[in-house]
Amino acid sequence: MAAQDQQKNNRIPRRAVLRGAGVTMALPWLESLQVRGATTKAPTAFPKRFGVMFMGCGVNENQWSSTGDGAEMKLSKTLSVLEPLKHKVNVIDGLYLKMATGQGIHPAQTGSLLSGAVIHRGPIIHAGTTIDQVMANKVGQDTAQQSLVLACEQPMTGYHETNFSMAYSSHISWQSADSPVPNEVYPSLAWDSLFENRGSLRNLSILDRVKDRAGALSTKISATDKSKLDEYMTSVREVERRIEKTRETKTAADDAAKGKSKPAWAMDRPSNGLPEDLREHARLMCDIIAIAFQTDKTRVATLLLARDLSALYYPFLNVKEGHHAASHDNLSDGYERITRFHLGQLAYLAGKLDAMPEGEGTVLDNTCLMWLNNLWSGRKHDNTRLPLVLVGGMGGALKTGRSLNYMKAGNENRKLCSLYLSLLDRMDIKLDRFGDATERLTDL
Amino acid sequence: MHFRRIARVSLLLAAPLAAGAAPATEVELERRFAQTVRPFVTTYCVSCHGGKSAAAQFDLQSYEKMADVVRDHPHWALLADRLRAGDMPPKPMKQPDAAVKQQVIDWVGEVRSHEARKHAGDPGIVLARRLSNAEYNYTIRDLTGVDIRPAREFPVDPANPEGFDNSGESLSMSPSLLNKYLQAAREVANQMVLKPDGIAFAPHPMLVETDREKYTIQRIVNFYEQQPTDYADYFLAAWRYKHRAALGKPAATLASVAAESKVSPKYLPMIWQAIAVSKEEVGPLAKLQSMWLVLPAPQRGQDDLAKDGCVAMRDYAVRVRELIAKHYYSPIMRGLSSTSQPLMNWKLNQFANRRREYDRGALLLEGEGLPTVPESPKSGAFFIPGNFDIVGRQAQAKLIKARLADQEPLRVPAGQREKYAAAFARFANVFPDAFYIRERGRFFPDLTQDKGRLLSAGFHNVMGYFRDDLPLRQLILNEKQTKELETLWAEFDFIADHTIRTYTQYFFNQSGEILGNGRESGSERPADMAITDSRVIFGLRDQYLAKAASNPQNDPLVKEAIEAHFSFVNAAIRAVEKARAEAEPKHLAALTDFAQRAYRRPLTVAEKADLLAYYKEIREKSGLTHEEAMRDSLVGVLMSPDFCYRIDLLDTRSSNAPAQRLPAFALANRLSYFLWSSAPDETLLKKAAAGQLQQPAVLMAEVRRMLKDDRAQRFATEFAGHWFDFRRFEEHNAVDRTRFPQFNNDLRQAMFDEPVRFISNLIQTDGSALDLLYGKYTFVNPPLAKHYGMPEVTGKPDHWVRVDDAKNYGRGGLLAMSVFLTQNAPGLRTSPVKRGYWVAKRVLGEAIPPPPPAVPELPQDEAKADLPLREMLAKHRENPSCAACHARFDSLGLVFEGYGPVGEKRDKDLAGRPVEVQATFPDGSQGAGLDGVQTYIRAKREKDFQDNLCRKLLAYALGRSLILSDEITIDRMRARMVASGNRFAPLIETVVTSPQFLTKRGGEPHGRTRPTEE
Repeated sequence: MAAQDQQKNNRIPRRAVLRGAGVTMALPWLESLQVRGATTKAPTAFPKRFGVMFMGCGVNENQWSSTGDGAEMKLSKTLSVLEPLKHKVNVIDGLYLKMATGQGIHPAQTGSLLSGAVIHRGPIIHAGTTIDQVMANKVGQDTAQQSLVLACEQPMTGYHETNFSMAYSSHISWQSADSPVPNEVYPSLAWDSLFENRGSLRNLSILDRVKDRAGALSTKISATDKSKLDEYMTSVREVERRIEKTRETKTAADDAAKGKSKPAWAMDRPSNGLPEDLREHARLMCDIIAIAFQTDKTRVATLLLARDLSALYYPFLNVKEGHHAASHDNLSDGYERITRFHLGQLAYLAGKLDAMPEGEGTVLDNTCLMWLNNLWSGRKHDNTRLPLVLVGGMGGALKTGRSLNYMKAGNENRKLCSLYLSLLDRMDIKLDRFGDATERLTDL
Repeated sequence: MHFRRIARVSLLLAAPLAAGAAPATEVELERRFAQTVRPFVTTYCVSCHGGKSAAAQFDLQSYEKMADVVRDHPHWALLADRLRAGDMPPKPMKQPDAAVKQQVIDWVGEVRSHEARKHAGDPGIVLARRLSNAEYNYTIRDLTGVDIRPAREFPVDPANPEGFDNSGESLSMSPSLLNKYLQAAREVANQMVLKPDGIAFAPHPMLVETDREKYTIQRIVNFYEQQPTDYADYFLAAWRYKHRAALGKPAATLASVAAESKVSPKYLPMIWQAIAVSKEEVGPLAKLQSMWLVLPAPQRGQDDLAKDGCVAMRDYAVRVRELIAKHYYSPIMRGLSSTSQPLMNWKLNQFANRRREYDRGALLLEGEGLPTVPESPKSGAFFIPGNFDIVGRQAQAKLIKARLADQEPLRVPAGQREKYAAAFARFANVFPDAFYIRERGRFFPDLTQDKGRLLSAGFHNVMGYFRDDLPLRQLILNEKQTKELETLWAEFDFIADHTIRTYTQYFFNQSGEILGNGRESGSERPADMAITDSRVIFGLRDQYLAKAASNPQNDPLVKEAIEAHFSFVNAAIRAVEKARAEAEPKHLAALTDFAQRAYRRPLTVAEKADLLAYYKEIREKSGLTHEEAMRDSLVGVLMSPDFCYRIDLLDTRSSNAPAQRLPAFALANRLSYFLWSSAPDETLLKKAAAGQLQQPAVLMAEVRRMLKDDRAQRFATEFAGHWFDFRRFEEHNAVDRTRFPQFNNDLRQAMFDEPVRFISNLIQTDGSALDLLYGKYTFVNPPLAKHYGMPEVTGKPDHWVRVDDAKNYGRGGLLAMSVFLTQNAPGLRTSPVKRGYWVAKRVLGEAIPPPPPAVPELPQDEAKADLPLREMLAKHRENPSCAACHARFDSLGLVFEGYGPVGEKRDKDLAGRPVEVQATFPDGSQGAGLDGVQTYIRAKREKDFQDNLCRKLLAYALGRSLILSDEITIDRMRARMVASGNRFAPLIETVVTSPQFLTKRGGEPHGRTRPTEE
């Protein structure tokens, strides 16, 4: 009892550290808090992280190729942004998703991209749980957020002429067949979601309150009733203790970086509102994912850079048309610049993670980032092969520095969902089937 | 060691008193224990039942004082029972003197009487406890109005020794369960809907925009679909009115006929006027009147004889209406697509506001040439900006083609254009071209494509909704219904925020069209973010207006369309903003109201303030939005022990104090969890608040009201489900479905529902509890009727009928219900052992120990066994150590051999051997089949059943195991039961007015009355 009281006194009252939105706060941010409990236990292995970045409407296919492995790897113009990191990159060509073909263009080519589900037309939305959410459900339990689902563009919910809802074009992460995960488009709110007052930590404040209620009640009841209520209180405290363990993560991140005598990276809270400039917007979103991965606030993130049928436009790239309109002329230099800009975000985020030491390597080495597009060619609405790049070694589970081409492997052996099964394996999630695949991707 | 409960305890209790002897004192009983009882057991019992390895773990050496016996009285009751039966000591052992033996038996009974009297009226210890999983689900359903069942992920609740899952003895809490509670509370909170006037709950989560739209749209569409809009129904109603005398209702009015025919009393008189009263010479109404006049007259009171004729009239009206429909087009503006939102909305408004008009151009005047069909523009042209409304022109071309193909109704004799035009106008006024538009694609009004976009405006790619239901409001709905519909539409925007979101999507994805950027481009993000600001909205409007004014060739309607559009958007957004601001205090009031209902008692002022302070704190300090803070506050309420625990709060703190009267709200809770497994409703809480509930007359009235309520079905499910051990049958998976293909999920559900229906009916009609044993009737739905070989019952599985002659099909009452026969069969054979054990233990309340460790296995598959089961069991009973128990229940199962492993009637077992259903019952009498066992029970065991029912009911009602002092109440229940013809209500009333139910104490329990089963 005494020990418990003492702990209580040492602890800064939780509600005191709940922060309001709009407060600018720099990381490192937990230094003043003495983390109680078993903090000495060193992590035996660093967590594995998984991130997805998506750009819709295809690439300039003439400028998208990669040949050779390791130092011999030759990257085309668009892919050249990955040159500095190419030993940590796998460029995978020739994968496809059968259920995304033959249903009509755009939303029908997008709604199943990360789930391999069969999506429904008409008023009742029906898709499937996506690979990132399958992972989040498994590895997200102990982090502040199960996953981060971010976007640089507002969702659309109207109907496309194929009568598929535009929700399929606007959301790449689905938590269930019926519901997408809401996209966060505001960097400030995405940032907030990682910290004290959001996510699973909101439960702490509720449990605090429950203890107050139970305390008030226990003064009014008999000793026998109190014994039953104590059972409840004990359970509340235990759950609270488990949640609080997630607060230790910043210390762990600092410890992990200590060997390199570099503290965890710091970032200011982005200001409210949508950044006017897309470049700034994308960069902030990448920064948030980077810091969330480094401090283990989450292990799964998706970033929708430009949705399918995107209406983003790019005066800074000297392109007059909007994204979708430009994609109908996808062999143009302008559209190549658009594609390179979005792949550049992958290069930026990967570079950022690679600059974060963790153990003997970097955070990137314990991560897998997947960049993909729903189309190969926008002018043909061709999605029989999909542009896809992986970066990061997933804690040694994934060999990197390779150009992998499955174009000639036969349709059974070039399934996108086979790649997902292989990636799930490497996240230590063994499934017999995902989407239309029951086999892993060979030679990954 | 084989226990058997002492039958008819009342006799034991009553015996010494009836003999006129004064009850023995405690001192006296203590003395007799030392002088007679202890020496007796030492001599005759402890050689087996003594020490660490005592037989049946019943160590009789360990009882040194009478108090030890009191503490473990159930074992001693069984000891007396076995002595009386002569089973113990076993025959080869030394046998005691009969008189001494009787003294021991009497002593055990007198101790029992003594203890019961000593603690008469003791309420016993009713522990505080969490809600059981079933109670949690029911309570959430009653609180939210939605059957969310958040406890479905919880582990199964353990039962207490009485077999019920509703006591503090068995319901415990653990961190992992608490985590599930947290998820469950979150799940409920996620389904909360914030409405302009309070909160409600949706049948699904309400977190994402697509969920919010689904919820709000579905409500509006459901409302539309419930409205009577079929002309044929109105014609038929008018016909019934015309022939009211012949149909036996000479006094009928249009209003009364409308009510009976389920059509609008507002619209029917208009139809009546149009087809039966007004004099029409030409045009569609004249044609309808001629069809009306030849409708057949009723014969033999048949009130739907004219139905086919009415359908033909309807088809005619609809056909003409389609041919004379008027189409509208987006006004033409150079450099802007006709599908631009301001222009398209203008067009949709024309349709919506002019549905009772028609196209005069549709009339084909004799002597004038026929119109030519315009060339239908290719849809490829659709993408050329600044083009005219191609979709509209395509639809118009299609319509002209249809008119030319079906000229007859449109033909007008030369020189009569005005007369006909007026006649068509009268027709169009009564028969709108649509009452409402349910779905709309982007080729509207062409409905051949793009179906399924409910309430949609039909914009391409961006979202947008459009309301079009003026004729419904004008012609069909009364004032109240109109108001309801207005509310649904207002809530659509409030909840789903569709105007703001449409505008935002339009701003970011289409408004670039005004800059010549192409149709799918947006405007630049304004620096201040406030794109829904009136300044930004009207700024955009001004850009459109400037562009419209820049070309004198533009249709002047364009200006009107642009102004109307942006004003509408601005007004709708401002209205939602205002409603939001006004709603917040109402939401907070709804939150405290919710807490009050969740806590099932009034909140104190401090508690209310505390709840609101928490909301304010997480909103202000943690930066949660209003909606998030509301949801979190709700989670807090549901996680509070005030909600998820049942604690009978006394007025003053009292531990170990003598029994105290339960305060009104605690009593209301006891009552509602007893009869409904859920929270008290408003009526009950009001009675409690008014201080009336403790008045016996009010209490009785409430009990009767509650038993009539549908929620009493939960009592049937929970009480009977646990008592008769079928509560989990909905998950029963022991049937081999390849061998018994008739056993599907529908049949399994029907089997489960049968006893629930039966018992609910008993309770609601206050029937005799003995119907459970001897009832000749039962209830079946289509799958169950089929299974039982009863005459076909048609309809869906939720259609249940009572079968009065169930006896003719081998059913009636509980015993032959297939749920029990199936559950007590191991799959590929029957089990007379399990079935008989179930009758003896569950129905008749006989305590039978579990089988010893090494019992011979019976074959798993009847078809592969060498002998009939009956013969194998007979062999088994040849072994005396097996016979002791099996003789008590095998016969009660053998009589059911005429029912197979899924309770189906049969003549042969699975190996093809004829089945025999006769048996020798424990009293030596013989009987066969259901009749036989019913006769035996009626003659010998009816009192056992009554006694068992009283005990089970009391234990369930109190939420604890029974104690010795409950015997007096059980006596009273039994007496009431017999006196009232075994009816349920008096039994429940006796429980509810018992001291145990009305009072509460703290302290340690006295002994239980019965040994722990299993």
